[in-house]
Amino acid sequence: MGEYSFPASHLPRGILTIVSSQLSIFRRRFCLAGLLVAFVGNLGFASADETVGSSDGHDYFEKYIRPLFAQHCYPCHSSKSGKRENNLALDSKLDWLKGGDQGPAIEPGSPEKSLLVRAVRYADPGLQMPPSKALSNEQIQRLEEWIRRGAIAPDPTSSRMDSSPSDPESGKRYWAFMPLSKAEIPVDLNANLFNATDALIQQKRHTMHLSPVRLASKSNLIRRVSIQLTGLPPTAEQVHEFLEDETPQAYEQLVESLLASPRFGERWGRHWLDLARYADSNGLDENFLFREAWRYRNWVIQAINQDLPFDEFVLMQIAGDLLPFDTIEQRDRQRIAAGFLLVGPKVLLGNDERNQRMEIADEQIDTIGKTFLGQSLGCARCHDHKFDPVPTADYYALAGIFASTRVMERRYMLGEQRVMERLVGLGPDGEQLDEAYEEYWRNQPKLKADKKKADTLLELLKKDSEEDFLKALPDAGVAVADAAKDATKSREERIAAQQAVVQELSMKLTAPAIPPRAMIPADIEEPKDEQIRISGQFDRLGAQVPRGFLCVLQDEPTSGIPSNESGRKSLARWLVDADQRSGQLTARVIANRVWYHLMGRGIVRTVDNFGRTGEPPTHPELLDYLAREFVESGWSLKHLVKQIVLSSTFQLSCDRIDENQQIDPDNRFFWRGNRRRMDPETFRDCLLMAADQLSLSWVGSTVSYLGDQATAVGPNKVRRRTDFPCRSLYLPIIRNDLPEIFDILDFANPHMTTGMRPTTNVPLQGLFFLNEDMIMEHSKATALRVINSAPTGDRAGLVRRLFHEIVGESPSEEEERMLSKAWMQWENTFRAEGTMDPETHSLSLVCHALFASSRFQYVE
Amino acid sequence: MLLNSACGFGSIALASILGSGKSTFASETANPLARHPPHFTPRAKRIIFLFMWGGPSHVDLFDPKPALNEQAGNAFSSQPDEQTARKRPANLLPSPFQFAQHGDSGVWISELFPNLSTHADRLCIIRSLHTEGSAHGEALLRLHTGQANLVRPSVGAWVSYGLGCENENLPAFITISPPRGHGGVQNYGSAFLPSIHQGTAIGSAETPIAKAKISHVGNTKIVPSLQRQQLDLVQAINAMHLQNAQSDPAIEGLIANYELAFRMQSALPHVMNLEDETNETKSLYGIGNEKTDNFGRQCLLARKFAESGVRYIQVSTDYTWDHHKGLKNGLIDECAKVDRPITGLLTDLARRGLLEDTLVVWGAEFGRTPTAENGDGRNHHPQAFTMWMAGGGVRGGLTYGATDEFGFKPVENPVHMHDLHANLLYALGMDHKRLTFRYAGRDFRLTDVHGNVVPALWS
Repeated sequence: MGEYSFPASHLPRGILTIVSSQLSIFRRRFCLAGLLVAFVGNLGFASADETVGSSDGHDYFEKYIRPLFAQHCYPCHSSKSGKRENNLALDSKLDWLKGGDQGPAIEPGSPEKSLLVRAVRYADPGLQMPPSKALSNEQIQRLEEWIRRGAIAPDPTSSRMDSSPSDPESGKRYWAFMPLSKAEIPVDLNANLFNATDALIQQKRHTMHLSPVRLASKSNLIRRVSIQLTGLPPTAEQVHEFLEDETPQAYEQLVESLLASPRFGERWGRHWLDLARYADSNGLDENFLFREAWRYRNWVIQAINQDLPFDEFVLMQIAGDLLPFDTIEQRDRQRIAAGFLLVGPKVLLGNDERNQRMEIADEQIDTIGKTFLGQSLGCARCHDHKFDPVPTADYYALAGIFASTRVMERRYMLGEQRVMERLVGLGPDGEQLDEAYEEYWRNQPKLKADKKKADTLLELLKKDSEEDFLKALPDAGVAVADAAKDATKSREERIAAQQAVVQELSMKLTAPAIPPRAMIPADIEEPKDEQIRISGQFDRLGAQVPRGFLCVLQDEPTSGIPSNESGRKSLARWLVDADQRSGQLTARVIANRVWYHLMGRGIVRTVDNFGRTGEPPTHPELLDYLAREFVESGWSLKHLVKQIVLSSTFQLSCDRIDENQQIDPDNRFFWRGNRRRMDPETFRDCLLMAADQLSLSWVGSTVSYLGDQATAVGPNKVRRRTDFPCRSLYLPIIRNDLPEIFDILDFANPHMTTGMRPTTNVPLQGLFFLNEDMIMEHSKATALRVINSAPTGDRAGLVRRLFHEIVGESPSEEEERMLSKAWMQWENTFRAEGTMDPETHSLSLVCHALFASSRFQYVE
Repeated sequence: MLLNSACGFGSIALASILGSGKSTFASETANPLARHPPHFTPRAKRIIFLFMWGGPSHVDLFDPKPALNEQAGNAFSSQPDEQTARKRPANLLPSPFQFAQHGDSGVWISELFPNLSTHADRLCIIRSLHTEGSAHGEALLRLHTGQANLVRPSVGAWVSYGLGCENENLPAFITISPPRGHGGVQNYGSAFLPSIHQGTAIGSAETPIAKAKISHVGNTKIVPSLQRQQLDLVQAINAMHLQNAQSDPAIEGLIANYELAFRMQSALPHVMNLEDETNETKSLYGIGNEKTDNFGRQCLLARKFAESGVRYIQVSTDYTWDHHKGLKNGLIDECAKVDRPITGLLTDLARRGLLEDTLVVWGAEFGRTPTAENGDGRNHHPQAFTMWMAGGGVRGGLTYGATDEFGFKPVENPVHMHDLHANLLYALGMDHKRLTFRYAGRDFRLTDVHGNVVPALWS
């Protein structure tokens, strides 16, 4: 291709790293080289540059000249490409000042005197470079301008290269990549320190002179733990039972029952789906429906309910299609799990196939990097990572794995054959059914044409227009019966024969039902290593790198990926290999995620970013302790959750202590509980539950009624529905067309891994709470239910009960008085206006006000 | 307002928390849309972007190419470059329309815009736009967010984030009749910016604007006075909660938000009501005429929002400019729908003194091929197309950049989509390199690592 490629494909990775770092500093699309200047200043590792010359000159070189050299000159004039034609290299200032056989290539400050300029101008017939095709005028002007300014360029031999942030060797000393430490647990557990977690938290509090607040009330605690573990409030009976039970085991028993509830998998499955950027449609440019994604969603929920060990959970999602199986059911379950790789968004149209392959791999690498390792690996696509020890070579080592994985296929979609996510049939004969289905759609255009021809021929026979019939015969193909052609037969016989053909074609034209299928990847037939793409451009090939993982997390130099495999199995095992630092980092990242969900703040606050631009852990010992607990329990998520919720730290009230507030206003040291706003799923589920409208039965697809284009261009009469009585996590997640409540209340953006949803506080939310029909309907249903189930006359008791059921606590006197007053006043208003059923109507307004209030929306 | 409300559930509680009887509470909590100063003196305070969804043909509207007509039907051999190599060879399609020079400046405009031509000296016509994305979805996302394969904030969201709103009761970014497809909400989304900067949508492209409303503004069942009473109850419960919590910024924020929401709810219908406009104004925009009524209403609405202090207003047509075939009649039709409304908008802004600090931008996701598709249509063409700007400090009567003799590629002063974005921010007094947001460990900006301001466009 005439692009810059390295013959040195078996150089050790460390060397490639440096090479690629020189080439790929210039990034095209993904990162912000321009802003790097600002960053570099902040982080103070650019000082080496300052001594060489003005950074302006460097910018110019990096932006215009280096890419130009890399593309047009280095293939023949670089020591790294191994070619120094005419003894000229252009790798460094030294090189071009020394020049080649014809003398110095560049005279800094004088483009006119520079041999290089003469060559690229193509003015001298004996000296024309690059030989294949002249540079554009713009490029030539850039070169001249650069030389005029003194041909300033960074010195590649300066020490900056050695201390490069992307160097995996020195990166091993960064805290996140170190082995798990074994914390000494302070032993003085007492009444307020229930377990090791508390002891480690207290240790830090103590050094900060922070004393914890009191424990939360039992009524607050049961609401908190129920919502955290199941996403639903406790029922009145559960509350009653818990408040009555004064045995020491009451809380642990409550926790046990919540962990055992199928609702646990729904709540924590949804946390996982945030990371898996789960959606029921493709999003981005062409929002095609993912008709089968829900199977993956349900697999996640089931796996979490069964407490599938996390290492297996990971293995199935990355390589489930490659695992052995005993039964078809097991095969299908494992395959469905691997849908994890397919449910990401993709640009589908107008995208070069080779580019699409790299884009998809990038999306998968980004998701996996963030989800398991807390690393933004995507940054290393165009250049070595600017901050973290991830050289471009590592990125393409991973890219080789995913480029060797097939996730797209050509199949029927929205009226034509398109390149879409791969679907595989489920069940014993699923693959055949799927094939039959696809075959039908492949053949349908021809079948339709045949049917039309057959019809015409039949008509002609009936009309006895033999001449036209004969004329139509040559392109009739299978559309005519042999017997119909046979002029020796009677007309009736010929018609009957042709009728049979018509009938057969009609039958064949009956569209088969969509067979049960799922989004499933596969290895390509000949897995292969990828080449570095210079500046991330899919068509600018650099050196080939063997498939593998991140050097910084590897002690062994090889990844051990068999040459006939994509390497997904190896990758998954590496990610959860607790004997390696990779698995230990994964354990840390996941333990931190669990802590974050339960406590409202991560030990590493930036839960998706354990890199140098993230924040360091506030409690490194605790983080490592929890990670160890997680691994040693056999990667049991439920065990980890239980450890944390049984701690006194989890059970603290949200009270404030002024002195503490001064020292640690953000509660980084967990001296109090964090009051937290409900997420949209919890809000809606609690609302539906109060109204007695929530169904907890099994939910399959909630998008089956939708067309293939999830949000069609032009009128769309069947936008995704939200009126199912199911729990909110089952509602359709159409990218760019989320249920309104999700959009408004900061649901995860399903285009990307979201470990921490944003919490915004904007007027649209206020308008939503005040005006949304769904809230008003359920307020009314709640009012009706309460009125119907309470003894008449006891209005004060009814208000208390209503408050308790919605908010989870008894109202204060003042609250009770306000609510009763409002109810009465509005009832009188409605009565005077002659509104039907003023009592319910006015109580609905009261319920609505409660649902809109912070008392309902914030969990203590 | 909160404390003086007549209903009085718990207003005592609220008053006791807030100390004095003065209702400074809600306004004191930081309004994320509070006005921010720009980086430098702006040329415009706001932008109205008129989006022609589908991609109008530049060679039939603003970039006349006599060579197309002279060599009509000839096979077109393009350079074998990456983007075009995949296109099937095709024949040059002549433009069925006449062009003429207009105004003192003599800018060329096709006969399809007879009304707009009267504003010729106000137009700054950029003929050398280029972008990536030969499918609508990708190109729309690039036009609106600068990126297609990653979710990034839209231009309007960046503007809202950078400048806030001039009116504390309105959002800073409003999009009138936005497309639902081709990226949909992503085209006016806030991505990682705080969600308040997301565009507030009024209707969607396929619905007539007269029937459109903003969701959740106004209540279908509760009359305003009763709703105020209900909100007082909500706020009283919140206030008691806040009291028990011994202060909590989140609850305080919620209380402030409800007040802002309620004010918005009162302000928006007023701005959106076109009935208090004179008949003369309405007819200026073509309202009442079947063909121009819808787009006229959209444009008038845009003026009203501009007048009320909204920073970024986008007006979108339906998906009607995608002329793969029947280009002639299609363009006649589409231009007739927008010519008068756009002209009315420019006239109206000018006579109200608003045009000098309102930048009006006309354009689309890409242009169309000089070659024929399906006999009498043109295909998508991101390699070169035209946009124009007017008002807001732009150099009127200027034709900037040039394409080759067929309108295939820019040959002079190319302006990339990123450059356009840099220029839009520049007009509003913002340096596209300095308007950044820290997310996932690094600073992001609208133009990524690209974008150049083109000084020649600005007076």
